[in-house]
Amino acid sequence: MAEPVLEVHDLRVTFDTEGGLVPAVDGIDFSVAAGQTLAIVGESGSGKSVSSAAVMGILPSNAEVKGEVLLDGRELVGLPSDELRKIRGNDIALVFQDALSALNPYYTVGWQVAEAYRLHHDVSKKAAFQRAIELLDKVGIPDAARRAKSYPHEFSGGMRQRVVIAMALVNDPRVLIADEPTTALDVTVQAQIMQLLADVQEEFGTALVLISHDLGVVAEVADDVLVMYAGRAAERGTVRDLFHRAAHPYSLGLLGAMPRIDVPPRPRLTTIPGSPPSPGSIKTGCPFQPRCAYTERVGERCITERPELTPRPGEGDHEAACHLGRRPEAVV
Amino acid sequence: MSSAELLRLDGVRKYFGLRGAPWRTGQTVKAVDGVSFVVRKGETVGLVGESGSGKSTLARVATRLLDPTSGRVEIGGKDVTRFRGRRLRPVRRTVQMVFQDPQASLNPRQSVGTILSTPFRAQGTRPTRAQLIELLHKVGLSEEHLERYPHEFSGGQRQRIGIARALAVSPDLLICDEPVSALDVSVQAQVLNLLADLRDELGLSYVVVAHDLAVVRQVASRVAVMYLGTIVEEGPSDQVYAAPAHPYTKALLSAVPVPEPGVTRDRIVLTGDVPTPISPPSGCPFRTRCYKAEDVCATTRPVLEPVNGQTEHRAACYFPEPPPS
Repeated sequence: MAEPVLEVHDLRVTFDTEGGLVPAVDGIDFSVAAGQTLAIVGESGSGKSVSSAAVMGILPSNAEVKGEVLLDGRELVGLPSDELRKIRGNDIALVFQDALSALNPYYTVGWQVAEAYRLHHDVSKKAAFQRAIELLDKVGIPDAARRAKSYPHEFSGGMRQRVVIAMALVNDPRVLIADEPTTALDVTVQAQIMQLLADVQEEFGTALVLISHDLGVVAEVADDVLVMYAGRAAERGTVRDLFHRAAHPYSLGLLGAMPRIDVPPRPRLTTIPGSPPSPGSIKTGCPFQPRCAYTERVGERCITERPELTPRPGEGDHEAACHLGRRPEAVV
Repeated sequence: MSSAELLRLDGVRKYFGLRGAPWRTGQTVKAVDGVSFVVRKGETVGLVGESGSGKSTLARVATRLLDPTSGRVEIGGKDVTRFRGRRLRPVRRTVQMVFQDPQASLNPRQSVGTILSTPFRAQGTRPTRAQLIELLHKVGLSEEHLERYPHEFSGGQRQRIGIARALAVSPDLLICDEPVSALDVSVQAQVLNLLADLRDELGLSYVVVAHDLAVVRQVASRVAVMYLGTIVEEGPSDQVYAAPAHPYTKALLSAVPVPEPGVTRDRIVLTGDVPTPISPPSGCPFRTRCYKAEDVCATTRPVLEPVNGQTEHRAACYFPEPPPS
């Protein structure tokens, strides 16, 4: 296994709100190596987006971050903001879900990509603009030299997402974090963008952290997967571990709940009863327990004792946080 | 003769005039540009397409929430194209709509009881408490929810309330506009199963408008694919998904990621974006992105014609895909 570029250990994020302290991320670990893709999967409130924002150091001031975030072995948590600013956008970059709000409507896209470059490179405006055109061309914007002088509103949703990706890539980052990069896009455009990210990764050896709720996209691009539930890791392993040997009832439930086009429709989809809990609402035991079909078989333990990640059969480091020792079978 | 027609659209067009900026005045957006479409009793028809394809506008014309610019809308065998106000009441008893975003389509200042009473009052009746409780039971909620307000519910529960409201007047046809796209995967499956249960219990028919092809595959027996305001292909779901005839359908299906690691799909990656419905291309609307386009495609718009002699499965293309061997 290649040396990881980004390592996260025991990451905890707590928000200080009017309603008290809310633990949004409650101790997660992950790592990703150059050229590899880690997918973080979860539903609303699972803490997947907060985790990526914590890694980038862009959480609001009422958030407290604990744990380790190591970029090439260098600790990012607790770094002074001017130090962090040198790293952010340069060594590690973020692609947002909503390209329209990530771009400034008052400036041309070329200017914005150039500005991202000038923040980290001492070059003339003209040279930076040339670099911007080069990147816009690379991400597949036709007639990039002319389109660089256009404003965000003159682009379609897919083209805007390309601009945001160009901006993220302009400094050749070692790690790219993409938070639901295709959720707002149509499926044909999604295919274009995922292809673009794969090409970029191959060319530059970028480590990619993909935050997604779409298991289809995950199956296609990820090497490793981390399934999050209520701010915790429910399961992690290789993409084949998750899709062929899911060991956590929640992962299994997600797979069963998803309609698919490659198999004939089932009379009913498997469902997970209830809905995802709000962060911090479950204090003891397993956070998934109220919705879990296996609780009865395990008994009290699920309610009283918080399950830790333990090894499961599979490739490499397949782990799940569940008291049910053996593999759950599909409940119909 | 097949079973009764609940909904028939004939050559429906819906154009929106642009206003505001001076350079836009006088231009029209051709949101729906000549659609004919039938829904029979007991059917679930999926209406799929990408943003800007006109699928939501079509749904709103079909429920007579919008007036068509031209064409005919028949509901329950009756021409209701020009109906307005009080005359629409019986139409509302036949066709109801479920909206995408339950957060936006429920009034936050009304209790669930008030929300569910509104359709009755619109029909000039008053519901009994027992009727309201029965509605909640139908969608998997209970009496205790009657006095609560929308913010006290999760997204999935709110969508159930939206469905209960649509069921209040005992309609025959529900038109659901992206009913699950705002929901988490685990909750999405609950709502899709609920729609299937209601179909079996109440004999409902559905039009499900969605951009998610897997969702439509799961619920629909028949599917219509829209592109730039027109239907480019329609037919039984099994046939359309297994053997798409229109190049757009084929590209669209090939773009859907499959949750099976290691399976690489033969993907047709379309170039460019959907053209603007202000000035759609001449001839076939898809020709500017089509990998099969030839000169003839730019001249006249192709019409829906049977695929491989099957009258149920039709596509609007001069060069339809051959069936897979």
